[in-house]
Amino acid sequence: MSTKKMFALLFLSFLFISVPTISAAAGGGEKETAALNQKVDTSKLTGINRWVAEMYNGDRVLYAIVVTLVMAALGTSLAFLTDLILKSLGLEVSRISHRE
Amino acid sequence: MDIFHIYLPIAGIEFNALLLVLIGFCVGVLGGFFGVGGGWIVTPALNIFGFQMAFAIGTDLSNIFGQTLGAVKKHQKMGNIDWKLGLISIATSIVGLEIGSEVILALEKAGEVGMIVRWCYMLLLWGLGSYMLHDYLRMRPKESQENAVEQTQASDSKSRNGHPRISERLHRINIPPMISFPSSGIEGVSIWIILLVFLFTGFLSGFLGVGGGFIIMPALVYLIGLPTAVAVGTSLVTVLFSGAYGCFTYALKGRVELTAAMILLVGSAIGVQIGATAVKYIRGYGIRLLFAVMILLAGCSIAIEQVYKLTGIAAYSATAGIVIMGTALCMVLIIIVRMWLQARRGRDIQL
Repeated sequence: MSTKKMFALLFLSFLFISVPTISAAAGGGEKETAALNQKVDTSKLTGINRWVAEMYNGDRVLYAIVVTLVMAALGTSLAFLTDLILKSLGLEVSRISHRE
Repeated sequence: MDIFHIYLPIAGIEFNALLLVLIGFCVGVLGGFFGVGGGWIVTPALNIFGFQMAFAIGTDLSNIFGQTLGAVKKHQKMGNIDWKLGLISIATSIVGLEIGSEVILALEKAGEVGMIVRWCYMLLLWGLGSYMLHDYLRMRPKESQENAVEQTQASDSKSRNGHPRISERLHRINIPPMISFPSSGIEGVSIWIILLVFLFTGFLSGFLGVGGGFIIMPALVYLIGLPTAVAVGTSLVTVLFSGAYGCFTYALKGRVELTAAMILLVGSAIGVQIGATAVKYIRGYGIRLLFAVMILLAGCSIAIEQVYKLTGIAAYSATAGIVIMGTALCMVLIIIVRMWLQARRGRDIQL
């Protein structure tokens, strides 16, 4: 079996395992159902907090997608900004030689 | 300090934003430098300061995902990532993780699972830490800087006392198909060895309930034979995947406090860039030494927590928290100070 085929097989096996796990996370089990049904009291909230809480109460799948995207976007932007600051301090990185 | 207290609507608690940024910064530096997610620091810290455990885990995983994106990019720039190995690691670890979690479920039916897991966790941390420390002391370059390169070449193939390394012994097992990893300088190794190693690390992750960065990094160094910096970068690929998956699935279950995760990320995204940059200035053996000390102290923290579980005296639990947070803080200070000094001198650190 070639390396590429082995590689493809590994990823297929990963998908076979991860997809049911994700499905189970979305809908399986009594505990999960209880967690999914938890609601936040939005009556005293304003601004972004209210928006986040309403999304949390209204559509948990949308909340999960927004959380994932926000963390990715914020992480990437902050990394970019910090990199610029480090470069200005003379701490620029490039390809390194791997010495032990 | 009240001005920094903010209300977190999803978790339903008040929290100090400055503390969140500080925790994030510390774990970011360690994550970028050691190739770990840092869940073993953030989750107990959030829990100690008032988060419910499920929220602490979910919020931490979201932070890990955000911070690791930046770290992976930086390590990629330094040539520290072997993508082929990283992707194999993800796919295989999942299988191991499932086996590990099944064993946990079986143990749960049999009785006290928490105690067994903590003992295994302690033994693993102390065993791994002691081995790495022993290896450092045995292999520490003693030659002058002039012949450091020669020494490194020698130490790459055989240890000082002439015995082949574990990775070398594993590379000699010729069970086809063989696979090469040019980015890591590995010319040919049986794919079965690679799969077994990742199955084992995945099993430990599932069994101990951890992300796995602190298991994968040393496994890549000692079992597969990667240079330390490449092991750090490649380990982060696995951490990135588990972070992304954990972030999504915990948010789906309503256990991610978005506001807290974003504030944590402000600190950790900055920290992780500093940690990843420090890899450029510290030799592979220096990274291993700091890693060994850190996991030995983390093992002590778990031992103290174990005493708390046995005695119920709250002071032990607080001490365990102080040990782990103190260790993290000290490591961060060492990394930043040494990086800064060496960057000013314009050469690599000798640790």
